[in-house]
Amino acid sequence: MNLIKSTIEAILNKEAEFQKLMAQEMAMAEDPEVHLRSYGNSQTMVKVSMIRAGETEGISDNGEVFTQKELDFSAGRQVDGVAVSQSYVNYMGTWAYTMKCPVIKDGEEVAMLYVEYIYDSLDRSLPAGFYNKKAMLYIMDAQTERLVLKPKGMGQRDAGHLNLKDFYRANDIHDEELMAEVNTCLKEGKNIMFNHDIRGKKALNYMWSVNGGSIYLIGYVPIEAIQQEGTTVNQNILIVVIVMLTAFFLCCLLYYFNQRQQSRIRKEQEAEREIYNRQLAQALSAAQAASNSKTTFLSNMSHDIRTPMNAVLGFTTLLERDAQDPDKVREYTKKIMASGQHLLSLINDILDVSKIESGKVVLSVEEFTLNDLVSSVDAIIRPMAKAREQKFFVTVTGVRHEYLLGDETRINQILINLLSNAVKYTPAGGNIWFRIIGRGQRSSQFEHIRIEVEDDGYGMTPEYLERIFDAFTRAENSTTNKVQGTGLGMAITKNIVELMGGTIDVSSEVDKGSIFRVDLEFRIPEGQADRQFWKESGISRMLALGGGQSGESIQALMEDMDVTVDLAQSTGEAMRMLQSSDIGAEGYQLVLLDCDLPDIDAVEAAGRIRELLPEAPILFLKEYEEGEEDRAPGIEKAGMMFKPFFVSALKEKVRKIQNAGKADEDAEKAQEDSLKGMNFLAAEDNEINAEILREILSMENASCEIVENGKLAVERFAACRAGEFDAILMDVQMPVMNGYEATRAIRALEREDAGEIPIIAMTANAFAEDEKEALRAGMDVHLAKPVNVELLKQIIRQYVIKK
Amino acid sequence: MSRNRKGYTVKAAALCMACAVTLAAAACGGKENSNNLIIEDEETVREVVMFSPMEKTEADTVNTARSAADKTIIMAEEKLGVSVSYVTYTAEDYQDKTYDEVTLDRARNNMDDIYLLNPDTIQALGEEGRLMDLSGLAGAENLRDVVKTANVVDGKLVAIPQEVVAYGLFINQDMFDRYSLELPQTPEEFLECCRVFKENGIETPVGANRWWLETFVLAQAYADLYNGGNTEAEIAALNSGESKYSDYMRPGFEFLQEMIDQGYIDAKKAYVSEAIEGEGADFLAQKTPIVMAYWGAANTDTAYGNPDFELVVIGFPSSRGQMPVMPMTGFGVGAEARHAEDAMRTLEVMTCDEALKVYAETNKVISPSKNVEVECIEALKPLNDRIQENVYVLGANASMKMEQWGNTCLVVRQLLGGATVDECMAELDRLQEESIRSDR
Repeated sequence: MNLIKSTIEAILNKEAEFQKLMAQEMAMAEDPEVHLRSYGNSQTMVKVSMIRAGETEGISDNGEVFTQKELDFSAGRQVDGVAVSQSYVNYMGTWAYTMKCPVIKDGEEVAMLYVEYIYDSLDRSLPAGFYNKKAMLYIMDAQTERLVLKPKGMGQRDAGHLNLKDFYRANDIHDEELMAEVNTCLKEGKNIMFNHDIRGKKALNYMWSVNGGSIYLIGYVPIEAIQQEGTTVNQNILIVVIVMLTAFFLCCLLYYFNQRQQSRIRKEQEAEREIYNRQLAQALSAAQAASNSKTTFLSNMSHDIRTPMNAVLGFTTLLERDAQDPDKVREYTKKIMASGQHLLSLINDILDVSKIESGKVVLSVEEFTLNDLVSSVDAIIRPMAKAREQKFFVTVTGVRHEYLLGDETRINQILINLLSNAVKYTPAGGNIWFRIIGRGQRSSQFEHIRIEVEDDGYGMTPEYLERIFDAFTRAENSTTNKVQGTGLGMAITKNIVELMGGTIDVSSEVDKGSIFRVDLEFRIPEGQADRQFWKESGISRMLALGGGQSGESIQALMEDMDVTVDLAQSTGEAMRMLQSSDIGAEGYQLVLLDCDLPDIDAVEAAGRIRELLPEAPILFLKEYEEGEEDRAPGIEKAGMMFKPFFVSALKEKVRKIQNAGKADEDAEKAQEDSLKGMNFLAAEDNEINAEILREILSMENASCEIVENGKLAVERFAACRAGEFDAILMDVQMPVMNGYEATRAIRALEREDAGEIPIIAMTANAFAEDEKEALRAGMDVHLAKPVNVELLKQIIRQYVIKK
Repeated sequence: MSRNRKGYTVKAAALCMACAVTLAAAACGGKENSNNLIIEDEETVREVVMFSPMEKTEADTVNTARSAADKTIIMAEEKLGVSVSYVTYTAEDYQDKTYDEVTLDRARNNMDDIYLLNPDTIQALGEEGRLMDLSGLAGAENLRDVVKTANVVDGKLVAIPQEVVAYGLFINQDMFDRYSLELPQTPEEFLECCRVFKENGIETPVGANRWWLETFVLAQAYADLYNGGNTEAEIAALNSGESKYSDYMRPGFEFLQEMIDQGYIDAKKAYVSEAIEGEGADFLAQKTPIVMAYWGAANTDTAYGNPDFELVVIGFPSSRGQMPVMPMTGFGVGAEARHAEDAMRTLEVMTCDEALKVYAETNKVISPSKNVEVECIEALKPLNDRIQENVYVLGANASMKMEQWGNTCLVVRQLLGGATVDECMAELDRLQEESIRSDR
């Protein structure tokens, strides 16, 4: 209300102020009447009039005659010193008031200026509606109590807008006391506000004094509207509160979910971390173990390599010193050779491990005989065992097929590993058993064989048993023990066994010994070349004397060869059989004589048999004994075989006896096979290797021209005469151009002999893949370094002479 | 799956937060949606200002007539999207400017757009050319002839009413019955009734105000003119000055003089009384058996809508029996109104058949539209019967050069003020001459 009041008062004051300015201007105007007319009609000042001093009639801006007669200034109302008339309905049919102020010129009042204002102009400055347009606002002329400005929006829809009395009546205000109080306030120009129901609704009625009570703002506001406004505010506050609470709860909810999720994630992460930690710990311990074992391995290797190296170098020094003494030189070179061989085996082992570990091992399956296998193993192990004063027993039982398909080298490797370990880990005077046991055949195409290696040595702890097949482990530290080895043997062994589709297991007890069992299955080859031998040799029946149970095994083996074996447990029985009418002595083309005869000495028995069978070869079968030569004692066409019995061994012996007269021819042949007079082109970047090669070849009376890389080799070959070189020895890893490229280049040369000349790869790249690569490049054969002279000779002979 | 569910939870929560923020913003911001805080541009609120009179009524009463008009205005506001502002004027007393005077002032100063005009101001403003021609509005062609007769000025339809106003005598049938009086047909019978009432202690048998006594005069003056079959010729004679209005009106004035002389009406009181204000209370209190009023006043919730006695509304006494007097009011649009176009459209809606039906049904009045018929209340039947028989007198007629309704009223007021019948006749003659002169 105060705002509205102030607005109206401000308007009135401005009007008064402006009117005074107008009066001043008018005073200065030459012709006030002309000036008056210039004001024209405005929306606020609807009529401007002037009456000159001393006159009763004046003139208005519209040119009409103007008198003050109709205007009532009696109430003495003033705004800013300007008199204000009582309100009246003007010529426009609307409520108006006139303000008059004197026009003073030279200190003298020359005229009176009257300006008529309409209340409608105030309306434009008042709010269009307040309290959601439910509040009513009138302007009342205090003196006449007429409502001179009424809300436009209600009009015919509500009553009560004529005058105060009408307001009372329309709004049912009859309380005399209240009306008296209102009257008092109106007279005193005070504000008043009271509660009264308007049309049945509680309302706050107000009368607000403006301009010192000359006009009043009157009206009412339904309490409902006030409350509604309050309610709106409250509602908004409530909404805000609810929203805040909702937001709070949502935040809490989000926080809760987030926390839950976080904690779950945390748990998961912890679990994961735990797993990782565990894995890490495991990996760490594995790595540590690996590192340790590799460290140990390296330390071992260092030791193991240094030892033979030391021997090599040491003996070389000795060799230099004792160069004049041939015996010593031979002894030293022998030892240097042995140490070198040991070194080579170490390197081979390491390479094997890395190869196996990277899955690069490929088995090369070929036909082999158990005899060769056992013989070669025996040949290696027995001396070792003997050196340690150990007894070495070899037995073969129940094997149906001696010829088998498999990777002999690898099987050999397995056996050597197991047996050498047995030798190593068995103290002096111990026993080592090597058994090959034929197991029940599961398929007619496969021979199932179990290999057992047993010793009564140190044995192993259960802890070590768990790790025995891991690489880089060794039961004892080699530096504190006399045992030598890479520690890779068992890992290699296991891997090879598994590669062959077999199994290996071990049982051991500390100080009691160990037993390794390897189960393998080998395919039985289809063709039996040996059968042909026996047929050609004319042997279809043989007599086996003694040997007990092993006789049956012999019988079974020989059956495959279409050779019938008659068993005789004693010499007497044998003699009887030989003399029997059914078969007779002629029926037997071969006699196998076990040296451990129960009745008489084997030699004696042989003598007696020889009498009956003058031509048939007689072969003694005996346990291996050191120093004994496989020569039959003083009997013609006789030979000595060591147990166990193998068909192939028998065959070799028989062939040997049959070919006894051809020995000299062989020696001659060997002479023919020498490299004498040959000339080689060798590509070798390493000077020492080149030197060695040159020396070896010169030892064989062959010459050789060495170039430093593949490129030079190609150039040299391109420039040579036809037939100048018998073969090219090609290193692979060389600067400028490697061996493969050089080979391709040579093969691509436009020379007749470019495609024919043998190219022999001599490389330290010793794997099967390297061999393949070499062959792919166009080389004829692959030879791994270090160069084995005999092998080299053999190969050269094979390729060069073939050519 | 649980992740998905969690995803939904989070999304839902986020959505709720967004809603919350929006709600909060809405709560804080109130109804404002844009940054511009000016929500009511002058251009957006199309205002039509309507000037109309205001009855002084008792508290808490609902004026049906006003309600009826309001309904049609609301209809227009809703249809056109305009806002109709009311400007009203009501004279505080007889010393104030009359509504008609203020109407003329306002119309001449283009203060408003639509004016509710009484018959005399229709004619005055129409002749001055200050009103729009409404004949183009949709409802115009449906108007009854009586409306056109009254409101066509210089060939223009300048005002259209929402009801055909018929004035009659409001009779307290109980009191007539009490004194075994027949309802009067002629002035003589009326005077006789008054005599009986007077003799029976009814101090003022006829309640009057300063506005409506002219209906007695007009009924007696033009009963023959409008019902005698020679209307046009008689009007032509009056317009040319060949006949005199004073001759037509003299019996009516003499009748009123008689009433005044006999004390059947309280002239002094009537002279200063506004319509219904002066006489209404006594009539309702059964102190006065007869008052004059317009048709609508008989309806429920209006001035005489709910009396404690049997109310009958009849025509004014005349040589041709009970005669309804029908002065035509109407809404006119200022020719130079500020919102003339919207005003025209607003008025079009207010006077279309649909609106007039609403009005007539609410107010139980005779509609100006030929297409709207409403059953009248029992009390109005005698009056309605006469109208249905086409027996009535027009209170205003634009074809008469001298304005009837306003002038007659003023002259009657002179009579109330003490002028003689002759003086009044002289005044009529003067007015007639003036009208003829101005016409020329």
